[in-house]
Amino acid sequence: MKTLAFVLLFISSLAVGSNDLIDQCNADNLANSCIPKLASGFNFLKSYKVDGEAKDKVEYSYVFTKGTQYMINVCSNGSATDGIVVSIFDKERNKVATSKINGQFITAIAYPCNATGIYYIQYTFDEPSAHCGGSALGFKR
Amino acid sequence: MVFAATLLSCTSGKKPDDQAFEQSLDSAKTAGPGVDEEVINAILEQIPSPLEISVLLKESGSKYNSTMLNSSNNLPKYNSNFKKALNLGVYGTDLGYTNIFGKNQDGIKYISSIKSLADELNIGQFFDVETIGRLATNSKNLDSLLLITTMNFNHINHYLQSQSRDNLSVLLLTGGWLEAMQITCQTAAKNPENKELQEKIGEQKIILEQILLLFSFYKEDANMAGLLTDLEQLKTAYDKIKINYTYKESTMEIVDGIAVIKDNSTTTIDITPQNVEEIKNITDSIRTKIIS
Repeated sequence: MKTLAFVLLFISSLAVGSNDLIDQCNADNLANSCIPKLASGFNFLKSYKVDGEAKDKVEYSYVFTKGTQYMINVCSNGSATDGIVVSIFDKERNKVATSKINGQFITAIAYPCNATGIYYIQYTFDEPSAHCGGSALGFKR
Repeated sequence: MVFAATLLSCTSGKKPDDQAFEQSLDSAKTAGPGVDEEVINAILEQIPSPLEISVLLKESGSKYNSTMLNSSNNLPKYNSNFKKALNLGVYGTDLGYTNIFGKNQDGIKYISSIKSLADELNIGQFFDVETIGRLATNSKNLDSLLLITTMNFNHINHYLQSQSRDNLSVLLLTGGWLEAMQITCQTAAKNPENKELQEKIGEQKIILEQILLLFSFYKEDANMAGLLTDLEQLKTAYDKIKINYTYKESTMEIVDGIAVIKDNSTTTIDITPQNVEEIKNITDSIRTKIIS
């Protein structure tokens, strides 16, 4: 399955690549490349572009459900996460998860949700960073 | 290669009937003057996939029941773009449900219906019927099937949003959500001892609030205003449901290179079997109007 998914995603990356010649940040391609990197057992939900070239953060939101485990990963052109940190905030803007732990940049967060609600998925950049990446969200019960 | 072809076709020039199609949607396009499309798109992105509910239903031990789904024979009834977009969402949820339960023969009927509706809405180029049909013939391909189907629907939504066709995206997601609601309510009615399903129905209050917010941007479209009135009835039933949130700081540890979070916050849902019954009846009524 992973091989087939990877081939399909690679082809799709080529297909959308024509637009990327213009853009410096290939966030679409990076987001697609993150999908097959979701851990085994997780069903793909969304891919996110992390194009923060002119911003200090990029943010999306999603309704997480109690009893479901979510995984969010980060992909970049550079080494590991290239300074990209993904954090999850609840509806009251309390930080409930982050991929930077004790100064260490982690490429994926596993979040077993215990409280249903709207959550904010926020990407920030620790310098030096190209402010360019992708991310994928998956779930499993 | 088929997948690449479908994606490449997204970037090709407009078909001759594109102009007529776009004109047919003009009234809906202007339904929300002054509304930032980014706001609409951000709300649309929040709505969870109906696939999450299908997985929950399977794992709760409930049995597959094809009679709960919309018959693919209803396809010829959908003559307006409004009905087509709603039922594209409905059939999308039905396809996910059949896939999760490994009922591929039923799923193939929905693939065909989805392709027809998507073609008629000029978004058929995003639905890779050949790959999906091939994957559906073997139950070992479930992961790939779910992946490609989800990606196709994501592409459809992103394309509609990029083309200022958010109204269709709203209808697609609403149809999919209502179908998932209807399946969940019917399953809960058959399993009254299953408190998790009742809670799941209660939690949908959060999604309904977002959908109502989306519909409020299109009040000047008669079809959408009509559906908004129906959804407001559902809101009246949901006003009796209380969702209590308690925040408690989470803890984290690194396991095999992954930040594993322990969520210490909780939600409790105050919902009774009577509430579920009322929500079920209103949902059935709205859904019947949509699929008829």
